[in-house]
Amino acid sequence: MAIIARSTPAAVADRRRPGPDIILFVAMVALSAVGVLMVYSASRTRLETLGLDPTGEMVDQAIFAAVGLVLFFVASFIDYREWRNVAPFVYIATLLALGAVFLFEPGAARAQRWIPIGSYQLQPAEFAKMAMILVLASVLVPAKEEGMSWRRLVQTIVIVALPAVLIYLEPDLGTMLVFAFITLVMLFIGGTTLRQLTVLMTAAGAGALAIWRLGLLRDYQIERLQSVFNPSAADPLGAAYNLIQSEIAIGSGGFFGKGLFLGTQTNLDFVPAQTTDFIFTAVGEQLGFVGGALVLLAYAIVIWRLLVIAGNARDRYGVLLVAGIAAMFAFHVYINIGMTVGIAPVTGLPLPFMSAGGSTYVTMAISLGIANSVWLRRSPVPGETYIV
Amino acid sequence: MKLSWRLTWMVLVFVVMFAVLFTRLWFVQIAAGETYDRQAGNQNVRIDPTLAPRGNIIDRDGIPLATSSLEPWIVVDRKQIPLEDEERVIQQLSGLLELAAVEVSAAFENAGSGSRFLLAAVDAGIEFYVLEHQDDLPGVGIEEVPVRRYPQSDVMAHVLGHIGRPSPGDLEENPKLDPNSTVGKSGVERSFDAFLQGTAGFLANQVNAVGKVLKPLGGEPARAGATLQLTTDIDTQKVLEDALAEGVRLANRVKVATGSYTNFAERSAGLVIDVTDGSILAMGSYPDFDPEVFVSGLTQREFDELLERKVFSNLAIQALYPPASTFKAITYTTALEERLFPEGAVSANDLIECSARLNAPFTDASQLVWRNWTWPNADGYQDLHTAFERSCNIYFWQIALRIWNDFKGTEREDVIQDWARAVGMGERTGIDLPYEAQGIVPDRDLFDLWAKEQPWRVRDEGWLGGDLMQTAVGQGAVLSTPLQLATAYATLVNGGTFWQPRVVQRVFDADGQLVEEYQPVAVRNVGITPAATQSLLADMRRVTTAGTAATAFSDMGADAFRVGGKTGTAQMGQECEGVGEARICKDRDNTAWFAGVAPIDSPRYVVVVVVEEGGSGGRVAAPVARHIMQYLLGLEPTDIVDPRVEGD
Repeated sequence: MAIIARSTPAAVADRRRPGPDIILFVAMVALSAVGVLMVYSASRTRLETLGLDPTGEMVDQAIFAAVGLVLFFVASFIDYREWRNVAPFVYIATLLALGAVFLFEPGAARAQRWIPIGSYQLQPAEFAKMAMILVLASVLVPAKEEGMSWRRLVQTIVIVALPAVLIYLEPDLGTMLVFAFITLVMLFIGGTTLRQLTVLMTAAGAGALAIWRLGLLRDYQIERLQSVFNPSAADPLGAAYNLIQSEIAIGSGGFFGKGLFLGTQTNLDFVPAQTTDFIFTAVGEQLGFVGGALVLLAYAIVIWRLLVIAGNARDRYGVLLVAGIAAMFAFHVYINIGMTVGIAPVTGLPLPFMSAGGSTYVTMAISLGIANSVWLRRSPVPGETYIV
Repeated sequence: MKLSWRLTWMVLVFVVMFAVLFTRLWFVQIAAGETYDRQAGNQNVRIDPTLAPRGNIIDRDGIPLATSSLEPWIVVDRKQIPLEDEERVIQQLSGLLELAAVEVSAAFENAGSGSRFLLAAVDAGIEFYVLEHQDDLPGVGIEEVPVRRYPQSDVMAHVLGHIGRPSPGDLEENPKLDPNSTVGKSGVERSFDAFLQGTAGFLANQVNAVGKVLKPLGGEPARAGATLQLTTDIDTQKVLEDALAEGVRLANRVKVATGSYTNFAERSAGLVIDVTDGSILAMGSYPDFDPEVFVSGLTQREFDELLERKVFSNLAIQALYPPASTFKAITYTTALEERLFPEGAVSANDLIECSARLNAPFTDASQLVWRNWTWPNADGYQDLHTAFERSCNIYFWQIALRIWNDFKGTEREDVIQDWARAVGMGERTGIDLPYEAQGIVPDRDLFDLWAKEQPWRVRDEGWLGGDLMQTAVGQGAVLSTPLQLATAYATLVNGGTFWQPRVVQRVFDADGQLVEEYQPVAVRNVGITPAATQSLLADMRRVTTAGTAATAFSDMGADAFRVGGKTGTAQMGQECEGVGEARICKDRDNTAWFAGVAPIDSPRYVVVVVVEEGGSGGRVAAPVARHIMQYLLGLEPTDIVDPRVEGD
């Protein structure tokens, strides 16, 4: 427990108004900066070949980052406890937004995930992740700290299931998995017994098997999942193409990388979706193992700070909120980077603060802002928590 | 403290997740990084080979016979054709090139998926169309490709040979060979392929995922192949080829006029060799072909048709015929050098009767009706010289009989064959052209060998006296290529030096620097006494002035004394096809030979002409050879006709 701060007599004596989490903020800004640079490196050649402004995509991403940082501060200033009061409205709004995507024309791969606003495509599923954390935390706060009632457990599952079904219909497998992971982690922090968890996991496993067997997954989803376990056996130009190309790109980076703008694979369009889902390939190829490891370190710092905030939260609601945010964050990082290095399925989860795209960036920035709000409102006595 | 164990577990889970990511990143980038790096390089750098122009081939005076020029071809890069578009692209190319879609499709198939290959030569119109319609024709481009051209068309085709795409065997033998390149398939194109090939270059380009070239990364220019300078002379060659074609026509006119024939003549061959060094001045085979048909490609039907007519065989080195009476020059020299004359003669000047037929010298399995060609008439009393001039079989059979009776079963029974082999019969001459046939000089050992290995070729009794008699007049099992006969005559008339025949004398690199100069190779010296040589030359002159070829050479008047030669009329065995019950045999007409020497006083050239199933050597082959020798002597060649044929 070295990471999570505990109170010391000296600290108790230091009763100052707590400041914001500077480390968290710096890590976030650093990741954003690298992200903008990577988006530029991975998009400029393609844009140039198309006769467009090579900085176009980078500028968009920089604007998203600026908006995101502003929202980070806004979320920091809002007392996180306010969210508990509006949780039912947030939940209903989320369901409506998730339903609204079906009113619009399908996008890539016949998927309906977007609501067009001007020239931008709003992706409600991204915001839904944060919204569900707010809602779940509100639902789980009254639970017993050890040993949750079965009734509450089922209630929680039902609340998650509604938006999950909508997301399944979009379809967006990645977001469904994020929901599942967040729910699991928050239930655990919320006080489920090991027995309850076991039952839940068994039920989830059986459900997954049923979905698989009943053919409820799209063919491409199955292929993508399979290609993780055996990429060379799968069609190299089909489902496994993304995986093979991204592994080649990252692997060819070596220790120090090929140098910024010198990545042949990412700069020459071999890697698909290289500014969004596969942005990490640009890091791995151009900045090498050193760059990749530093990016991983930055994410580890973010998650470390989130865990520290959770451990120092003033109340149970704060703990649940930040634990949910940490789970969302860690899962995104693990699945996304894991996917680019071939140990996780291609599920289309963006890499927080780096993947090009406004909805994700804003969601992640707001969620860290909420975590920062929890930090700002922790007990003035370091280590002193109200729940323990 | 109740909460903290749950947070601790969360921390542990996250630590494990990050540890897994970190380890995997290490593995992909450091442990397996090199493999991935290689794969990356393979993907984003495209190396296109640039074909080297084949070296030129020039005649002895530098006149171009084969050249290379850069011409637009359609090049297809299957990697760049989306699979769903391929059928459409094939259809479009088929329409554009006016080729059947199945043929275009077959070309795609043969080249293999993901390959880049040359499809067809195109004119400026199609080139422009393709360049204008790049969007409709993905993966289809135009490239300037070195193309083989033969400015003399079909002249010297068999010596030059032809080219083609490498066969699977060629590619296996030389893995560096570009399947789009060309290799020699016959002639000097084949035997000197290594020189002519040149060195392919390459162009390296950086490409993006869809194969679009982003920037050139340099490369190496192709280096043209070396230039071959032949020993042949284009003008002599043209005279020879025209004469050979005319010889076939003359043979058929004679056949029609005399009415005695089974088949029409269809083929002929001939060559002119320099007896002082073995250089081939001209070599021809009729019918011939234009090697360029292989460059632009020909349909299977066209190819089969040419194959049916056997146009690709260089009969001068590949066809085997019994040399017949032309072989008498060898038996003649043997008789003089070994002092072996017919029974009752002790010198070359002793006369014996050239009777109408020889009375059964043997009663064994080699018994034949031994008729002279003058049968039923006898040809008077003759010595060796007259017998050569009049081509008296009786005299030469008697020489064989003498050898058989005196030396049967000893080493010396092969004395004629030994001389034949010494002057180059029965083994490949080693000319610098592919597919040379070997020929046969039979003897007891060969018959014994055949009895063991190819029993259908010989009777059970083995080598008999009649076989030696047949051999002495170039019949029986004796077989020779026109080239072998020419080298034999060259050796007989130059005093006994067997020069290896050759068609290539020098090789220059692409910059004109001499790379290789082939000196004439004297394989051996047979050692023929000057008296024997002079005697043979004098008697060869008698052949053209008074003997079997006198009529054919009558056009030359007094100039007929400047040349000499020997006629030959070969009896051809039946031509059989199939085996057992289905075996069908048909008779063949005699094959006409003439071997000539010019000038006869100091021999420089030997001319050999053969007209397959052409009939009489004196009537058909001799006029052809005369025409060529007139040219060689700087005389105006007279028409190849037979005064005995009406209208000729």
